[in-house]
Amino acid sequence: MAGSIINRLIMFVTLLLVQVLVLNHVWLLNVATPLLYVFFVITFPRNSAKGEVLAWSFCLGLLIDLFSNTPGMASGTMTLVALLQPYLLELFVPRDSADNLEVKSATLGWTKYLTFSLILTFLYCLVFFALEAFNFFEWQLWLLRTVGSTVLTMILMIAIDSVRSK
Amino acid sequence: MRNLLDFLKEYHHWFIFILLEVASGFLLFQYNSYQGSAWFSSANAVAGKVYEWESEATKFFTLSQANEELTTRNFYLERQVDQLKRLYADLTKDTTVMERNELQFLSQYKLIPAKVVDNSVHKTENLMTIDKGRADGVEVDMGVACGRGVVGVVYLVSDHYSVVIPVLNATSSRISCAIRNRGYFGYLHWYGGDPTVAYVEDVPRHAKFRLGEWIVTSGFSSIFPSGVSVGKIEQAYNSRDGLSYKLKVRLSTDFSCLRDVCVISDKSIAERAALLQAARDSINVVNKK
Repeated sequence: MAGSIINRLIMFVTLLLVQVLVLNHVWLLNVATPLLYVFFVITFPRNSAKGEVLAWSFCLGLLIDLFSNTPGMASGTMTLVALLQPYLLELFVPRDSADNLEVKSATLGWTKYLTFSLILTFLYCLVFFALEAFNFFEWQLWLLRTVGSTVLTMILMIAIDSVRSK
Repeated sequence: MRNLLDFLKEYHHWFIFILLEVASGFLLFQYNSYQGSAWFSSANAVAGKVYEWESEATKFFTLSQANEELTTRNFYLERQVDQLKRLYADLTKDTTVMERNELQFLSQYKLIPAKVVDNSVHKTENLMTIDKGRADGVEVDMGVACGRGVVGVVYLVSDHYSVVIPVLNATSSRISCAIRNRGYFGYLHWYGGDPTVAYVEDVPRHAKFRLGEWIVTSGFSSIFPSGVSVGKIEQAYNSRDGLSYKLKVRLSTDFSCLRDVCVISDKSIAERAALLQAARDSINVVNKK
């Protein structure tokens, strides 16, 4: 239990630093920014206390906001995704799997893992950029940024997952 | 009670969720002026669009106004620099009487900003039309300048428009000018062709100058005040009769993209003209007798 909290904390700090120091400066083709910190929410194991998931995610979002001058945007979206994550995960876990099943390709299987993280990442990007644009006058740009960022984030997450699974 | 506790235990994360979202929303609207303002305006998209058009339109107009002001300002400052330079030179010899004279001198000119509405550079007798006329105080024989240098002299005036003979008029334009800080003067003549090059003729043989020095208006004609820049000396030739120099001048005004100009209204011009007329009349009377 203590070990998992420390792991969480390390992941928390790493994702925060990577995001604010490196990934926030990526602005591929003027549309896509990888939002890798969603990875933090996605990887909460099955049956984590829902309140905890919410609190952790909110904190990470808040710190990201603090660094990137987007008050409330990342924290609000992270909280929303954190609320949905446990319910969505139930749809994807294989039958008679462990109670505290870890979320990675090795345990879920590639297809399910990909679908699961794709749904959450897409949702995250959709809401995040919606909050950023706020009014939908430029809905094409909004969709473009959502899709672009989702793709970039997914590529990074697959890379991390393949390293973690070995 | 027990049920309530069970309910809270089961669904407490929903309350946490709502609490955190409210906190995020508060941050979002409190610290993000854009979302804060969009909250109001997006409820009224029509009004937003209308305001956008309005600002597009007014932006254009204020831009041209700003341009005009800058031209006037630029011209005024250029004049002032020249005045102050001369003032400095004179002050080293004279007392503050000079200063008052200079300031008086400066205040006798009034600048009327105008827009070029018609222009040409490719003929030998180019004319230019500006959108200010008698109603705005423009009169015949007033000088016209832009922020970068001389333009020409007002030739015809209607109520709201004026025709200007620019420097680029080979037959009619003769502007008296001098070499800056040296005082030797001649008059500016353009022969057609290249709209960036004109010639200063009748510069005395004994005049000393260097290539690259500035030619400015001399102020003798009462059309232009002294010190309005004309251009830089590029080359010097002997005149045909060998009695004077002819200077090739690279004009500082770009006539091919002229838009904002100033008409220089000299309050003393009428007085000078009347005096000159009186002098001529009296000479005629004497001659007749």
